[in-house]
Amino acid sequence: MGSPKGFRVSTPVRAVTLGLLACQTCGLVVRRSPILAASSSCPRCTALLRERRPGSIENTLAWLLAGVILYIPSNLLPVIYVTGVGGGEESTILRGVLEFWKSGAWDIAALIFTASVAVPATKFLALGVLIWTVHRDSSRARRQRTALYRLVEIIGYWSMLDVVVVALTAALLNFKAFGTAEPRLGIVFFCGVVVTTMIAALSFDPRLIWDKGCGDGH
Amino acid sequence: MTERQRMSCARELLVCPHCDAVHGAVDLRRHELAACIGCGRVLARHRSLSVDQLLAITVAAALLFLIANAYPLMAIEVGGLHSEATVWGTALPMLHGWTAWPAAVLALTMFILPLIQIALLLWLLSFARFGRRAPGFCAALAALHRSRPWSMTEVFLLGALVAIVKLSSWVHVSPGMGIWALASLTILLTVISMVERESWWALLKVSA
Repeated sequence: MGSPKGFRVSTPVRAVTLGLLACQTCGLVVRRSPILAASSSCPRCTALLRERRPGSIENTLAWLLAGVILYIPSNLLPVIYVTGVGGGEESTILRGVLEFWKSGAWDIAALIFTASVAVPATKFLALGVLIWTVHRDSSRARRQRTALYRLVEIIGYWSMLDVVVVALTAALLNFKAFGTAEPRLGIVFFCGVVVTTMIAALSFDPRLIWDKGCGDGH
Repeated sequence: MTERQRMSCARELLVCPHCDAVHGAVDLRRHELAACIGCGRVLARHRSLSVDQLLAITVAAALLFLIANAYPLMAIEVGGLHSEATVWGTALPMLHGWTAWPAAVLALTMFILPLIQIALLLWLLSFARFGRRAPGFCAALAALHRSRPWSMTEVFLLGALVAIVKLSSWVHVSPGMGIWALASLTILLTVISMVERESWWALLKVSA
């Protein structure tokens, strides 16, 4: 009893409190009775029903670390080798950005820099912050952290931009006498960064942000 | 089957997939959308497009996908020599050695998955058009949702535009029919992706 805490409008009722569970594949809301069996499937879409993504934090952290490790060679190694028209040299991602900048195409330079350097770095930082705060059971700025997760989800795949540019350049520029372009090892690592960070973002369960110390008995 | 009987559903409720907040489902009017009171995520949107309209857009998208792959995206010319690239042809020169990995990712995200998405939409909508539930409706819809984050037509379009600018500083580049088809395809796929998950599952009810 004591002083009634009452119902705070700012804190919505959560499914886990009411014994409800939403299917992550189709969104159907199911009543658990009384606890969720280990292998129950959704009555609508037959996907496996789970309270939370299993091992979410561990998986996200593992894929994120893999991404960070791949990020180093992806920036140090050349991604493309151009002969003839392009000057006959190997070029890294940052060098490509600089060349656009020097040639006056600042907008294209900014675009490639954002997609290839800033977006992966933002994903590392954002997912790092999310993992850390969930690990600490932080109850601060839940709404903002959920918005941060959505940002990571939205910007995620735009990093593939440079892979497309390198592949198209290599596919088109194949004249033996006048110039050729070949992809280099850096692009393999870079593609690895995009894939691992996307899997990291998809492994993270944003509901964990709201799970601890929410004032609803959990 | 006993498991399924024991679990009762609450179809009148909507649970936010990002924060687990429970909401009562409401009927939305035109231009209205429902956002989560906990985290602000958009939970449902009024579906202003009918099944017929969605099907028409999907058929158009399928045709544009064909054109985008049949005609070159762009062509370059140096000293009388000519070279051109299609969506599918972009990944091919990289298919050897280590670069086969990014080539496979490109083929999957820029060609195979968008193709699967369009095929699944055609399948679901063409049955729904006649008030019937497509065989494998649930598996098809689940596959549609799961493959969405990995289908990257819009990224390919932007990449192709950057490649045009990049190459035009060295050689003469002429954009092909493929790039226009790709741009239109991107617009149509964006329109289709505006339809929220709940609206797709509502098709199940209509055509049950």
